[in-house]
Amino acid sequence: MRTINIRVNGKLVSRAVEDRLSLADFLRDHCLLTGTHVGCEHGVCGACTLFMDGKPIRSCITLAVAADQSHVRTVEGYQGDPLMQAIRTAFNHRHALQCGFCTPGMLATAYDMLSRIADLDRDRIRAELSGNLCRCTGYLSIIQAIEDVHAKHVATAASPLSS
Amino acid sequence: MKPVQLSYERPDALRGALEALRQSSSNARVIAGGQSLGPMLNFRLAQPKRLIDVSRIEALRTAAMEGQTLAIGACVTHARIEDGDIPDVTLGLMRHVARGIAYRAVRNRGTIGGSLAHADPAADWLVTMIALDASVRLQSAAGIRELKVADFVIGPLNTQLAETEVITHVLVPRLAASGRWGHAKYAKKPGDFAETAAIAIFDAERGVARVAFGRRDEPPALMQRTSNQLGGAHGRQRGNLKAAVESDLRDLSAKPVDLMLHRAIVMRALQDMVS
Amino acid sequence: MAIGATPAEAEDIAAQVEITFEQLPPVVSMWEALKSDAPLVHEDWGDNVLVDLKLEGGDLAATKSAAVHVIERSFRMNRMHPLALEGRACAASYDSRLDELVVYVAHQLPVPLQIGLSQVLGVSQRRLRVIAPDVGASFGLKTYLESETVCVAWAAMKLRRPVRWVQDRYESLICDANCRDYHAKVTAYADANGKVLGMECDVIVDSGAYSPWPWPAGIEGGLAIGNMQGCYDIRAFRGRAINVVSNKPAGQPFRGVARPLSCIGHEVVMDALAEVVGVDPVDIRLRNFVRPEQMPYASITKKTLDSGNYGAALKRVAELIDVPAVRARQKKGEPDGRLIGVGFASFYEQTAYGTGPFGYAMWGIELVPGMEPAVARLTGDGELILEVGTHSHGQGHETVFAQLAHEVLGIDPHKVSVRYGDTSTCPVGTGTYTSRSMVSAGGAIIEACEALKAPITRIGSHLLQCKDAEVTIRDGRVFGPRGSVEFAEIGRAWYHHPEDLPAEMDVTGLTATAGHKPHDPGVFAYSSHGAVVAVDPEIGSVEVIDYAIVADCGTRVNPLLVEGQIIGGFSNGLGNALYEESTYDDQGQPTATTLADYSAPTAPAIPDVKLEFMETPSPFAVRGIKGIGENGAIGPPAAIANAVNDALRPLKASVLETPITASRVRAAIMRARSAGTA
Repeated sequence: MRTINIRVNGKLVSRAVEDRLSLADFLRDHCLLTGTHVGCEHGVCGACTLFMDGKPIRSCITLAVAADQSHVRTVEGYQGDPLMQAIRTAFNHRHALQCGFCTPGMLATAYDMLSRIADLDRDRIRAELSGNLCRCTGYLSIIQAIEDVHAKHVATAASPLSS
Repeated sequence: MKPVQLSYERPDALRGALEALRQSSSNARVIAGGQSLGPMLNFRLAQPKRLIDVSRIEALRTAAMEGQTLAIGACVTHARIEDGDIPDVTLGLMRHVARGIAYRAVRNRGTIGGSLAHADPAADWLVTMIALDASVRLQSAAGIRELKVADFVIGPLNTQLAETEVITHVLVPRLAASGRWGHAKYAKKPGDFAETAAIAIFDAERGVARVAFGRRDEPPALMQRTSNQLGGAHGRQRGNLKAAVESDLRDLSAKPVDLMLHRAIVMRALQDMVS
Repeated sequence: MAIGATPAEAEDIAAQVEITFEQLPPVVSMWEALKSDAPLVHEDWGDNVLVDLKLEGGDLAATKSAAVHVIERSFRMNRMHPLALEGRACAASYDSRLDELVVYVAHQLPVPLQIGLSQVLGVSQRRLRVIAPDVGASFGLKTYLESETVCVAWAAMKLRRPVRWVQDRYESLICDANCRDYHAKVTAYADANGKVLGMECDVIVDSGAYSPWPWPAGIEGGLAIGNMQGCYDIRAFRGRAINVVSNKPAGQPFRGVARPLSCIGHEVVMDALAEVVGVDPVDIRLRNFVRPEQMPYASITKKTLDSGNYGAALKRVAELIDVPAVRARQKKGEPDGRLIGVGFASFYEQTAYGTGPFGYAMWGIELVPGMEPAVARLTGDGELILEVGTHSHGQGHETVFAQLAHEVLGIDPHKVSVRYGDTSTCPVGTGTYTSRSMVSAGGAIIEACEALKAPITRIGSHLLQCKDAEVTIRDGRVFGPRGSVEFAEIGRAWYHHPEDLPAEMDVTGLTATAGHKPHDPGVFAYSSHGAVVAVDPEIGSVEVIDYAIVADCGTRVNPLLVEGQIIGGFSNGLGNALYEESTYDDQGQPTATTLADYSAPTAPAIPDVKLEFMETPSPFAVRGIKGIGENGAIGPPAAIANAVNDALRPLKASVLETPITASRVRAAIMRARSAGTA
């Protein structure tokens, strides 16, 4: 056991944890932020994708102790963020979620590609989404939602941590 | 799927990591981005008592020229290479390969050193480094040595890395501006490990002609006759090149249905190089 | 059982348990299972046959002698996993105040699970509450009585502490009840013009080691042969389905159930017939479709096709795909050397069936759906609560059921709550499966909301001091000749101020309970699919470069939700066609145990599907609505297989096995080459 200090959604969280605990489990079981979902625990399905130190990562194969001293942003941590609000609105309008299990990972990946890539056509969106598995929607509504947001917003250098 | 009990430490400097390895070697594993080791820990396929996280060691995150060789810190991530954050000595080949590794979220953490140390035969960097005739620099508390990647990798998930050693750098020779490369890979889906991959490099100025071939279950290898033919004929005599490829493929003990795939990928890498 | 304070600790304990196994010879395939000297999966059975179903009709002997063309094709559809992204999970605790066992579980059939748990644990239903809240998809996976849930519930009672289990992906791929695993041999007997006069089919289903309660093994085989004649007017039929057991996980229904196999059966044969007769694959189907004027049409396999225009749907798909352009492209050849192919699949989907003799009861299912319940309750502040016995795990019932209430009562959908998934607070229904919720629960909601009109009218007319007949209900208000009152005032009167009520009031007040009996034979949605593929003749990879769907599920209550179901189903079907396979080695060890090995489609695999709808209401369903949940998944294996085989035609190769992997395509090309040079 050791005490780690992680800034979660802007708030400093200090907890004693086992070294083997994953970041995903830390957020879900210790911080009670259950918006981060675990679908495979081997980094393939993408449901657990969230931002750490400004970059999307797989929280299922990241140890919580490895996130010590880091900034972590989960799906619960975007209050007032205009880009995320636009993405959520577009997901809603396009029915880009059904069961919602993949959605937190999809939102993180969408946020990343919209922030990072200026030139997003449907095929590039598909390629950037290739690490996020969805079984319900068939992806087309997700691709469309991201395309909608891209049409309205130019890629900025917005830090996902600014709040 | 949760790991066994273990202890984790994250030294700030290489010295600390090497000392920890010297003390615990058989009970300790080095972890960098954790994109390969993380799943193994979760599956309990790896059960170290001690994890030594080297990802924050600054000295392992630089990328600088040493003469005509680029020394890439082992903890440089695939994403940094994809984004062009390191000097380009391979005429864009490394950037191109980086972009095809797994997915962005994995590339943000996965490292080139980690990928080579893990040595999954289908890993993109393995076949690429062999094609580039790159080397790895290994360091332990006892000293430093360098090995060609082709010699470093012994078998699937098996390398010459001693339990007390860490890869510190990947050493990539610079290609001349007139050099050419070709790349072809077949994976079931984008981001999957390749079923088969081939990289062809031709650099007349430096006298380099190398065609490396990678597949599942066996580490990548240089296609010797194809490489010789490429170097000799400057790639102009396609007919002879095809025969050389057939000859090299015969050495692989592959089923005919897979040979069909391997052949196609190698020829496409060669085609990519000249187009 | 290993129980720990954390999942990691429980795994540590489990790792310390040493088990000595006596290894018995396994039965790993359906062919092994059928051998007379096969090891027995269940030692007290004489063989490995779970059930042997036969279905016959018409004069097949006469058909055979009259036939000019005889087409026989065999097809293998390999085992798959439903792969809901959220795994299975449950948490159980004993509530000592209520003397009640409470089980939270990811499940789409809360009441059947309650009944099953009750029987196995010996706890009466009264004392057993099942709550299935947010469920991360299911597609039929989370429908059975799971041994883990039984164990966790038992442990919670024994330990008098809450106990939880969360499955991980490795466990899921190894021990979940999985699906598909069929073989079909189909023979069509046709006249000189390609009109199919009769059909025979022999289907084998590998059902794994058990039937997962409540699903009987017969369901897959029964559905496979019962739907093998497709949308075609075929008057003679013989079908046989043998369900065998093997040492694999229980086989259970997954989106589409056996119909993707039936569809491949009839559609591959149609394409083959087209080639032999020398006509276009669209034309051969048009010659054989049941026509609208023949409906309702009683099929030889005892289905009553209620309404629709199969020919119109297919013709429109052919337009959307632009067949002439594809043919021109095929002729011209691709710059990258890939082979282009086009394939079609037309099919119907029987939805929302009930107690009839040709459905659940015939297959021996434990729980037959009858009257589907719904409760509609207007609250004291004029808002509405709907309670249903179905389950929403992505289908959007929360939205569309509120829409129905709005259609009937005019209430703002944002003022409607839809409650499901809790056996203590919801009416008893069998749950969501076989594309039934919109028709059954939808019908019940409409009836319940209609039933609320009477008390609302009664109270409203009393408050407005006019006659019932002078009152109209719309926009969440009650309008009389001299004014209006909102629903909140109606609610206030009933719940808080009975002194303001009329003398004659029905005691049920503002709570209406309805039980909707859907049309027992079910109602039949249908679709036509068209696929265009590019096949790499050296690598064998298949890319779907264009795809069109024309679907008809009668009245669409929420078109956006319907589209979501179809495109989602399409991606599952595409996975079935090209990617997904649960593989086992010759010792029966599962070898697709991670998502690196079990390959499901990701965004780059999905083309921009051209989706259009026809709306032919069913004469047998309320508002003409038909089910649609599984529809999208049924067509792709057939359409894509037909397209791949169209592409491979110049090489005289064909693939008749799913998933159509690059390796299988290469093998087919190699076989054709060696046959050519033989």
